[in-house]
Amino acid sequence: MKAQRGDSLNRIGTLQDDSTTVPPITDFRYHSSFSSSIKKQPVSAFFFIPCVQAYRQKLIENLSLDSQGRPFKIMVFRGSPKSSRKSIRFVDELRQEVAAIFEKDCKQTPYRCIPKGEKRVLDAPRLRNDYYSNIMSWGMNNILAVALGPELYLWNSEDQAVHKLLQVRGGNDWPTSVTWSEDARTLAIGYMCSNLQLWDVESSKLIRSLQGHSGRIASTAWNGHILTSGSRDKSIINHDVRAANSLASCIKRHADEVCGLKWSTEGNRLASGGNENLLYIWEASKMSSSKFLHRLSDHCAAVKALAWCPYQNNVLASGGGLSDGCIKIWNTEKGICINNIETKAQICGLEWNRHHKEILSGHGYSIRENQNKLCLWRYPSMTKVGELGNHKSRIINLCQSPDGITVISAGADETLRFWDVFGPPTAGAGNSMVSDLQGLLSFRTSLLR
Amino acid sequence: MASRTVAKDIITLRGSAAIVSEFFGYAANSILYNRGVYPEESFAKVKKYGLPMLLTQDEGVKSFITNLTAQLSEWLEAGKLQRVVMVIMSKATKAVLERWNFSIETDSDVVEKGVSREKSDREIMREIQAIMRQIASSITYLPCLDEPCVFDVLAYTDTDVPVPFTWIESDPKLIANPQMVKLHSFDTKKETQAI
Repeated sequence: MKAQRGDSLNRIGTLQDDSTTVPPITDFRYHSSFSSSIKKQPVSAFFFIPCVQAYRQKLIENLSLDSQGRPFKIMVFRGSPKSSRKSIRFVDELRQEVAAIFEKDCKQTPYRCIPKGEKRVLDAPRLRNDYYSNIMSWGMNNILAVALGPELYLWNSEDQAVHKLLQVRGGNDWPTSVTWSEDARTLAIGYMCSNLQLWDVESSKLIRSLQGHSGRIASTAWNGHILTSGSRDKSIINHDVRAANSLASCIKRHADEVCGLKWSTEGNRLASGGNENLLYIWEASKMSSSKFLHRLSDHCAAVKALAWCPYQNNVLASGGGLSDGCIKIWNTEKGICINNIETKAQICGLEWNRHHKEILSGHGYSIRENQNKLCLWRYPSMTKVGELGNHKSRIINLCQSPDGITVISAGADETLRFWDVFGPPTAGAGNSMVSDLQGLLSFRTSLLR
Repeated sequence: MASRTVAKDIITLRGSAAIVSEFFGYAANSILYNRGVYPEESFAKVKKYGLPMLLTQDEGVKSFITNLTAQLSEWLEAGKLQRVVMVIMSKATKAVLERWNFSIETDSDVVEKGVSREKSDREIMREIQAIMRQIASSITYLPCLDEPCVFDVLAYTDTDVPVPFTWIESDPKLIANPQMVKLHSFDTKKETQAI
């Protein structure tokens, strides 16, 4: 190290220098601290440091003088007054921002109160304790049709008037499925003995009887003028109620009773759930050829509860019976299960909340939890928001009011309980929710990149 | 034989200070990029020194480095700057992880008498290129910085230099048990930049 004073070129040690002398500490060109677990060979052989103490000594000695004996002072740049130096990684900040937006979308601020108690309880004597029946329907005309044993009652939600529509004589037949048509002008009633009737409620008259099944009709669903019925005879029949020969198509695909039937909101797809644990998705146009779109066998028990998502096309929720207890959310476009919640209880009904992104499940028997309860789940995070339920025994059916605020649960304890669980409706919920959902459900695994 | 245009062969003191401070700006960016202090996507490529250099697009960092190099340039012209050290610290623990030392040698003759030395642009550029390449290749033997890091820039100046508004006196932020690597140096004949 040529430390010659008076040199016009003040050189601080360079590579060519004579390396036999211990270089002063200011010569250390590059320092790097390695964690103690990573042992690496010193990369530069030119500068040998006899030992750490000597280094430290030199440090202290030379703290204020550099190699030439020139005093120096050290300053650290603290940025111009106006600069805002980001000290965290940009990508971390981005992630946090996006996560915050996502959280905000999922959460509601302030979160609404879910009522703990029911708004109303109606006595429902002789309500049949049968898992497979669908004995309730709430029409657009605000009339609730419910079959209690062999009788069918109409309850007007506006004036709470009760009116008995019909009673089946004989004792060995009773309604097993009740569904209002979309315009609530016709009531379709399926019977134990495989009869299917259409009633005009204004005049309390039977319009027509449809034939075709040989077993009890446990599930029915309307799609405009098409009435689809599913039966214990394992077949699904599509009736065109305008035609004289109403039978439009008959599909024999299920291996057991068809206990769940739901048309999508657009009317292009039909979901059918069977007692053999299968869930079929059908295209409306292809039903006559008995060719299904998807055959989904993920459930381990009867698939009775079916509900199409009101804000995302082609998203279907299905619930399994006692051995299954899972709510599965499906993309029926691709036929894949996009979410699965284990509720560990028999699911008898599923209802989507049109006003908030939630889904409600009604439960029956359970070995562990959620017995006889209604559970509310956030969508799409599927976190449990809350549970309701004062039923003394299992819930058989769920149905939703036309305004989408109230849900009725029919229980084996012979009560109908009304829960105002879906409200209050958010202003302008419609469009904004769809676009938010579009983003969330676009099947990107991460929101960033 | 085509005549070669000889341009800017004489490097004046001023020009030299500009070259060095500009070099430092690019070197700082390069270190930030290569060591992963800031994410790669926040950098944009520019052509400089005949190499693709990466400059940060983050406004805060950009203005930080600009203001910093402006001050360095001032000190360089006055011949007061002895070295610049870029320190990379862990954001969480504030422990110094890396220390990039840029030593400056000043030809005091030039400062005092205003005499200029000669060195072609191209030669200087080549030397700077070599250093830049070395910085870029340092990622092959330096350990990964897994955690979020922050950086600081220290300037070693003569004691008679007044501390400017945006700087504060500091400790050297040394590393205990360091391991070192020496990189190349370049000089513009007045300034010698040894890293």
